[in-house]
Amino acid sequence: MSQKFENLSALVDGEHDALTSSNSNVLDAVKNDADLKLKWVSYHLIRDGLRKELPVNINFDIADKVAQALESEPAILAPKKTWRDLPLVGSVVPFAKQGGQMAIAASVAVAMIIGVQQFNQSDVDQPFNAAPPIPGIQGGLSPVSFDQTRDIPNSSAVEQRRRINAYMTDHKQQLRFKTIQLSNGESVIPDQNIKNEEAQPDIVENTPQ
Amino acid sequence: MLKTPRNKISSRVVLTLLIYIFLPLQVSAQEEPTNNTSSNSYPSDSAQAWLVKMSDAVKSLNYSISFILLKPGVDSQPYLWRHGVNEDGIEMEQLNLLNGPGREVVRIGNKVSYFEPNVPPYSLQSSIINGPFPSEIFQRPEKLMQSYEFIMVGRSRISGRSAQQIRIISKDKSRFGFNVWLDQETGLLLKMNMFGHEAQLLEQIQITGLQVTKEPDPFFAKIEPEMLPDVVSFSPSAPLNSLWTIGYIPTGMTIVKRDFRRLSGSGEVVEYIMLSDGLVDVSVYLQKRDGNTSQENLVGTVQSDTLLTIEHGELNITIIGKLPAATANAIAKSVRRNN
Repeated sequence: MSQKFENLSALVDGEHDALTSSNSNVLDAVKNDADLKLKWVSYHLIRDGLRKELPVNINFDIADKVAQALESEPAILAPKKTWRDLPLVGSVVPFAKQGGQMAIAASVAVAMIIGVQQFNQSDVDQPFNAAPPIPGIQGGLSPVSFDQTRDIPNSSAVEQRRRINAYMTDHKQQLRFKTIQLSNGESVIPDQNIKNEEAQPDIVENTPQ
Repeated sequence: MLKTPRNKISSRVVLTLLIYIFLPLQVSAQEEPTNNTSSNSYPSDSAQAWLVKMSDAVKSLNYSISFILLKPGVDSQPYLWRHGVNEDGIEMEQLNLLNGPGREVVRIGNKVSYFEPNVPPYSLQSSIINGPFPSEIFQRPEKLMQSYEFIMVGRSRISGRSAQQIRIISKDKSRFGFNVWLDQETGLLLKMNMFGHEAQLLEQIQITGLQVTKEPDPFFAKIEPEMLPDVVSFSPSAPLNSLWTIGYIPTGMTIVKRDFRRLSGSGEVVEYIMLSDGLVDVSVYLQKRDGNTSQENLVGTVQSDTLLTIEHGELNITIIGKLPAATANAIAKSVRRNN
């Protein structure tokens, strides 16, 4: 063993050339012996150091260490490329995942809202939109003989308006006192004072002037 | 990776919020066994049985109900309606209009006292408060069965409670229909819609809060019955000799009142006839037309009332009430002179 290193050392130092046959033997031995290979590297490094010929950057060979590290590294399989790896989709999908549950919640809300709307649609929306918010007489229902001509004298229209107001007021009073059989005409109730606080029919806007 | 749980939490928060948003208004009912003492001879799942149940519940339970009356063209009117039965079995009822100067009606037994702005308080001898509800639906539901068909529609959710829907349709299709929703548990009214022939909504009562309690509301304990205004008495009206007869009266309707009145607004004397079927009250005014009271024929709606006024023979006839204009017209046209 030491003989082997001695020969190698002599070869590196250039003192082995006398013996050409053993020279090639040493070279063959170095090629086949891993220990000798390492020695070969270090002898040369030592020689360069002794001769002050070391390079500025000592370039140690790390190839085998990398290879060794790769050997012991657990296998990492690169994922297959899918449509999700497309740049735009890739950024959208996580967002969509994030938003998914929000979306479920939102759709529940929407469903409830739609349900509520449909449930109430015929009830609330239609009639109160359909019926214009104009108190007083409207021609909304099927006219009986709706002859609202404009040649009616003004005084007559005013007269009729007053009369209809009186009827409406009286109707509400009658409903109020419904359980009572009223005696003729004026009663003990202070009729003239009982004003209905609910919107009185106001026919001013609707009666042609 | 860390985001997922947070997403779940946040979505749960959102869902919870939604549930709270859509939760019932503030309907909370304390458990109260439903009164079963009624003479309910109808099958338990029939509409009639439900109406009787409602009627019994309205008369016998202690409750506090908030509701809103909606009519086309006017603001919504919120009401508070409380009812209790005291130890002596006397019914106590309160109806309070919550907006504006307010209007308060208190009923103790058969005495109904009205407290209104600009009017001295007064009392009437009556067993019902004449409020937004049809006058007799709670008192005598049997009477309605002469004029209306009752159809079970199904269950739904109203005011956060399980409700039984019943459709009420006049037998001769001459009046508006109603949809009522009754509380599954107590039988109390939760919602009431009046609808026209095309199913358009004309008037709506929506209960927004319902509390049924074991004891009457403390409000009733504060009422001193002797402090209530005196009952205004009326002498019964004398038999009337009218020249006129109404030829057509819709099925189930009867003449409940008939007299001569001087209209407080115009001072004119008219013959007054009230027709009622228990759900709808209709006023018919007959006025003899003299030379200068010419008028045009009119039909229209004032809120949810139909108003029709026509010249017919020697009369001006005005009809006001919650009924279709065609029916009002038919009634008006059927008035004829007695032979």
